[in-house]
Order: sequence, then C-alpha cells, then structure tokens
Amino acid sequence: MLIIIGTLPVKTMSLTQGFCVFKNGKLEIDGLTLPLINGTSIVMAAASIACEHIGIEKPYVIVAGDIGSGDGSNQLYRFLRNTNFDIAKKSCKNVITMSYLKPNILYAKDVVTALKKRINDILIADSGSMYVAKAAGIAKDFDLFTPDLGEMAFLADHEAIHPAYVRNYIFNSKNDVPGLIAKAYGSHDAAKSLIIKGVSDYVVEDGKIVAQISEPCVPTLEPIGGTGDSLLGIVSALVASGHKIIDSSIIACKTNRLMGALSNPDPATKVWEILRYIPDALNSSIKI
Amino acid sequence: MVKKENTELGLILLKNVQDAMKAERILKLKNFEAKLVAPPPEVRVGCDLALEINIIDSYGAETVLKQYGVIAFDILSLKNTQLKPLDIIQEQDFKDYLLIKAGHMKLTFAKETGEIVNISGGGCPDIPYLALNMVGKRLDEISQPEDLGQTLCALMLQRAYEKAIKIFKV
Repeated sequence: MLIIIGTLPVKTMSLTQGFCVFKNGKLEIDGLTLPLINGTSIVMAAASIACEHIGIEKPYVIVAGDIGSGDGSNQLYRFLRNTNFDIAKKSCKNVITMSYLKPNILYAKDVVTALKKRINDILIADSGSMYVAKAAGIAKDFDLFTPDLGEMAFLADHEAIHPAYVRNYIFNSKNDVPGLIAKAYGSHDAAKSLIIKGVSDYVVEDGKIVAQISEPCVPTLEPIGGTGDSLLGIVSALVASGHKIIDSSIIACKTNRLMGALSNPDPATKVWEILRYIPDALNSSIKI
Repeated sequence: MVKKENTELGLILLKNVQDAMKAERILKLKNFEAKLVAPPPEVRVGCDLALEINIIDSYGAETVLKQYGVIAFDILSLKNTQLKPLDIIQEQDFKDYLLIKAGHMKLTFAKETGEIVNISGGGCPDIPYLALNMVGKRLDEISQPEDLGQTLCALMLQRAYEKAIKIFKV
C-alpha cells in the first residue's frame, strides 16, 4: 500500500485520513475536496493518477492543515510516533512517502524509530521531511530522497540544518554533482538512494550514480512550482507497484520529463494543468 | 575594522522565524547591528532563526522589540554559531518572464505586468500557503512573504521577492 503523509495549506484542517482520488481536476479524500497547489496535494494527485494507470490500489493519505506554524506537522508527528498507525498493518509491505512536514528534530526521530519497527516498509522523503531527516542525523534510515540541486547542496553540507543555512562555497559548487554526492554519503546525510533533480536528473544508489536522465529537456519546467512533487508522487506509485527503487526512479524521471514535453508548457503554466499527461508519459517511459 | 570577539556577541531567540524576520527589520530600522543566524544546537529544532547582536545592545534591542510587539524568549551571550542564512541570489531569463532564485527558493514573474506566475522550491508547510496567496497577483499588490510565512523557506522567498520587486520597479 502507498501511504502519503504531509501537510496542506488549510489553517483549520485537523488530521484527516483516507484514500485519495484525483478526477476531473478535483482532489478528494473520501468526498472531501482539497485545494490543489504545489506541495502535498500535487504529490497526492500525481500518485493517484499513476496508481490508477498502473492498476494498483489508490494512495492512502494522512494529512493535516499547516500554514507554517508547525501545528499540523506536529499533529502528524504525534500520530505517527504512537502505535495507532493501524492502516499500515493491513499490508506486509508499505511505501510511506512523507512531504512538507515542518522540521522538528525530536519528533522526527521518534517517528522514524516507530516506523522502522516495520522492517519491510519503504520510507521516502522529500522537502521538509527530508530536511528534518538530514538535520536529525537519520537520513540513512530512509530508502529514497528526491532533492533538487539546491537541496543536494544542503545534504552535502554536514553543518547545515536547513537548506537556507547551506554555506555559500558548497552552494556555489552545486553543479559538481559527484562531489556533492560524495560529501553527503561521506557524512551519512543521504538516504540509501537519491533522485537528484536538475537539468539532468541523477539516480544514485549507495553513493554511486547509476543513471543520468537528460531527455527530453524542457527548460520551462524549472519555474513551474510542484514538478518535484509530481515526480515524488509518480516514483512512490511505481515503488508501491513492486518496481525496484532504482528502476522506479529512472522511469519516474523520464515520465516527469515526458509529461512536461507533452504539455508544451510556458513559465506561467501551473503544475495541475499538466498532470493529465502522466498516463501517456508513463506508457512511453516504461517502454524506453 | 577590528574583528569582534565572540564575547561581544549575543543571540536573541524568538519563538518563530516570522518573529525573527520582523525583529531584524525593526532593529535595522532603529540602527542596531543585527544579523540572522542559526540558533545554537541545544535549542534548535531544524527550521528556526536567531538574531545575532552586539551583547551590550541586548537590553535596548529587547526594549525596542517589545515596543513593536515582538517578544524575545531568551537572550544568550557568546555563541557565534557561524551558520547564517544563504545570501546567493540568481536570475534566469525566460523571455517574457524572469525567474529569481534565492538559495533553494524560486519566484517567477511576468516582466511586463509584474504578475507572479509561479513559486517553486522549498519544503516547509508555509510554501504552498504562500503560493496560494501570491501566485496570480502583482508583485506590488501582495502581502510580502515575511508577513505571511513563518519558516526559513519563507525567509528565502522574501529575499527572492525583494530582488524581484526591485527589478520590476526599475
């Protein structure tokens, strides 16, 4: 089962869980319509489309409203560190994807300790959830991170506790991807595998680059907020369908790029306008 | 210029990033030397900021902040953390649009109208909230990220915003 955990920009939304569906441009959990904006909602929408197309169960999502105070994130941390995480017990192997949690080092350590008790589950993190995993020194407990180049510089800077604190000389070396990878793995600040998003995407396993995906090249995807979130949703769905993490990562990178190419976007295009190309892009990238 | 010893420095701890950003703006306005830095390891949670000031100014700074409704929850002496927010700003031209990157945050606006067309990067929970409130609006008609955001990602977006509006107004 794919379980997506994250926050949504709705101030008053308490912890909500259920299977999510994205149909006709609307994102819903058990009939409750959610705002569509870059962040966890795009992870959920992209994963929902990919799961349906691949033919697996819908993603199960556990979300809470948070507009930056950390209240919703803390609700999620407290929920996950306790043993009430019954939904995960329904499957012997879950893919748990975490996104947009406000960093809280103490809570994050507790949560990962609790989740790691289920040894078959696969842990994937991006954004705030990845930041806190690295800052808390528990990055290696995760199976996959999906940083962009700026975030990769953060993983490579052992002293940095948030991407905003990356030291200038490391940030300025962000085009030296092998160098950043060596630094991050050298200080145990990376997950077992990485997708490094950029002009070329790199797929990394245990510190070694195993694939580089550069085509199709769609420069206008860079300004579009949420294309990293769509990639996270797609790769999570592929892993949940039984593909190996590295194979899933390569297919997901190709799919995200093809989604962009098929939609012919400009810098003002919104990510939710291009998600409908995921099925065709998946068909093509699985064949490549 | 004589380099200050660590013993001259103090840290003002605030309850969140939004207060720290406000405090920096207020203190600079009042001619204090203030710099945003990471809190010391024993009190940090991963997304937080402190203000480094000259320790002898700490009482005056605290008083000024109180007048503006910003309450410091602690003031520490020493501890130069070395870590300070990234200050690299870059631009990327997309013909009718300009993308401004501040660290890991990106803001893209239409050159002619000043409309913010996309915000990308970042991973703290206020970034989707800021995107909801800023995208589709003109640079000169919106609340700034520092007024709406509460995290370090919002701080970096504020820096991108400040650069964008400066370019747009030229």
